[in-house]
Amino acid sequence: MAELSTLARPYAKAAFEFAETAGDLQGWSKSLAIAGSVAQQSNVVRLLASPSVTADQQAQALIEICGDALNDQGRNFLTVLSENRRLQLLPDISQQFDVLKANREKAVDVEVTAAHELDAEQQQKLIDALSTKLERKVNMQVRLDKSLLGGAVIRAGDTVIDGSIRGRLAKLAESLHS
Amino acid sequence: MQQLNPSEISEIIKSRIDNLNVSSEAQNEGTIVSVSDGIIRIHGLDDVMYGEMIEFDGGVYGMALNLERDSVGAVVLGDYQSLAEGQKARCTGRVLEVPVGPELEGRVVDALGNPIDGKGPVNAALTDAIEKVAPGVIERQSVDQPVQIGLKAIDAMVPIGRGQRELIIGDRQIGKTAIAVDAIINQKGSGIKCVYVAIGQKAASVAAVVRKLEEHGAMEHTIVVAATASDPAAMQFLAPFAGCSMGEYYRDRGQDALIIYDDLTKQAWAYRQISLLLKRPPGREAYPGDVFYLHSRLLERAARVNPTYVEKFTNGEVKGKTGSLTALPVIETQAGDVSAFVPTNVISITDGQIFLEADMFNAGVRPAMNAGISVSRVGGAAQTKIIKKLSGGIRTALAQYRELAAFSQFASDLDEATKAQLDHGERVTELMKQKQYSPQSIAEMGVMVYAADNGYLQAVEVSKIGDFEAALLSYMKAEHADLMTQINASGDYNDDIAAGFKAALDKFIATQTW
Repeated sequence: MAELSTLARPYAKAAFEFAETAGDLQGWSKSLAIAGSVAQQSNVVRLLASPSVTADQQAQALIEICGDALNDQGRNFLTVLSENRRLQLLPDISQQFDVLKANREKAVDVEVTAAHELDAEQQQKLIDALSTKLERKVNMQVRLDKSLLGGAVIRAGDTVIDGSIRGRLAKLAESLHS
Repeated sequence: MQQLNPSEISEIIKSRIDNLNVSSEAQNEGTIVSVSDGIIRIHGLDDVMYGEMIEFDGGVYGMALNLERDSVGAVVLGDYQSLAEGQKARCTGRVLEVPVGPELEGRVVDALGNPIDGKGPVNAALTDAIEKVAPGVIERQSVDQPVQIGLKAIDAMVPIGRGQRELIIGDRQIGKTAIAVDAIINQKGSGIKCVYVAIGQKAASVAAVVRKLEEHGAMEHTIVVAATASDPAAMQFLAPFAGCSMGEYYRDRGQDALIIYDDLTKQAWAYRQISLLLKRPPGREAYPGDVFYLHSRLLERAARVNPTYVEKFTNGEVKGKTGSLTALPVIETQAGDVSAFVPTNVISITDGQIFLEADMFNAGVRPAMNAGISVSRVGGAAQTKIIKKLSGGIRTALAQYRELAAFSQFASDLDEATKAQLDHGERVTELMKQKQYSPQSIAEMGVMVYAADNGYLQAVEVSKIGDFEAALLSYMKAEHADLMTQINASGDYNDDIAAGFKAALDKFIATQTW
């Protein structure tokens, strides 16, 4: 996983910079997401891993599956990837592309796991507080998890703010243990 | 029935619940990518520091050692069997710390400072980081006070000063640990606190050392840090640093401490294992490139610091006192090969070495120190006056004897002078033998060395030297107790003392009772 993201980085960066100059970040993000999910299908994975299939055939197959989702440059991108036999990196590339895009747009995806249903007002409050703290536009997704007992866990990338009862109990348990 | 341990008192639990800080601060989180032989790779953890503690599920901790672009390599401190791919890992923002202070004296702890002697929790008030930078040039003072080891051969020929690093090197089963244990036993009443760090040893050997120390009443001033052979490599790698922090507690507060690393070869092995698993490139003998730095930064922390440093450290509470941490690292050689990688490194780092030789050990010379290649580069300035004055002849006598002994094997008849030298050398070699766990005081050493230097041993058969020594020492104790106490108190040597020795020895020789 770690190694794959290292390999994917230059491709994601190149695609991002190209899309930015072309002014089509949204379109590229969408095509990469589709290509990425295609490359994750089990029979495609097998195809990409098979040594008996040539790089050209792999690229062709993928381009055909994606169909209209790709423009000309998108097809070229897949061809370049296939030349280096890196098509299986597509999911990582798509993910890194989105991170770069979010960074550029000063936006961040935040996942909030709450113990109880959050009403609109609470959600708005959270979004406001988080966007001041993170200095980013917040795209919030809310999930429900009763096992938290109370409170919420907020996850923005690597940063985690654990305000749940379960988390506090775990901390208490640990402090009593040590 | 499950046993209740002392920390489970309701009051303590109550106060801990009360004092628990449960503020929900933002934390950095990552995902475990792989688990292999105690090495964990983590994806994420963008904010992690080098050497930071990482918390895993189930209260297991690790230490970040490799910071790479997309992953973090960490060693697990403890049991890694419960960890699995996909679990979360969290930053703690803390570097590894161990408890320090006088509460640890008399205890046996593991590399993280947890007690393993079954005597309940260590209620140390302070903790300290295990990785610290050694005192700088300005903060140091040169070595000029002795650490008495209590072994004639060492105190006379390779004296050790407070703040010195003296390597004990030799093959397995040759008495390296014996010297270290004797050194600890001899510190009883001297005010020097001792830390014995056992790395990669059999648990049984550690238990044996602890028992010996207890038997000789030396455990009260000693901390034992044990990372046994069954502990993870990370623990064996960290134990010397943990022990060093415990020793530094005394150094920084104007006291004196002695630390023994037994042995650093095993630590280098543990570090090699960790490094290879972390995929750092192997170098000579497969050790990583920074194995020299591993030992140099550890041994550099053994130092003597000046009163200004101590005053500054204690905020003026301790004035006009120097502090010291003396280190006796132990290195095990393979078949006497001192030119292997780790031995050469540590020889070059330390201020001298005590070299133990298999041939001498087998010939019955114990401690099996080779006087020719054992040196102390700074200890001379710290040697007690009386030993310094009297022991000058010992070294030369032994050096000449060794040369002549090899040569005389082929010669049929020798001139008188050579014979005399051989005779004398033989007796001095015999005199340097000393039983384990029987350290001698300065005065006792002084009188023996005086006897050797002034030809009193010529009247004694070589095989009787040991008996002669025992008889003379008990005679001195019985008849000249005043003289002995005076020497032990001051350590000086003057004409009066010389005259006292002469009179006593003449009288003793006349009795012929040995």
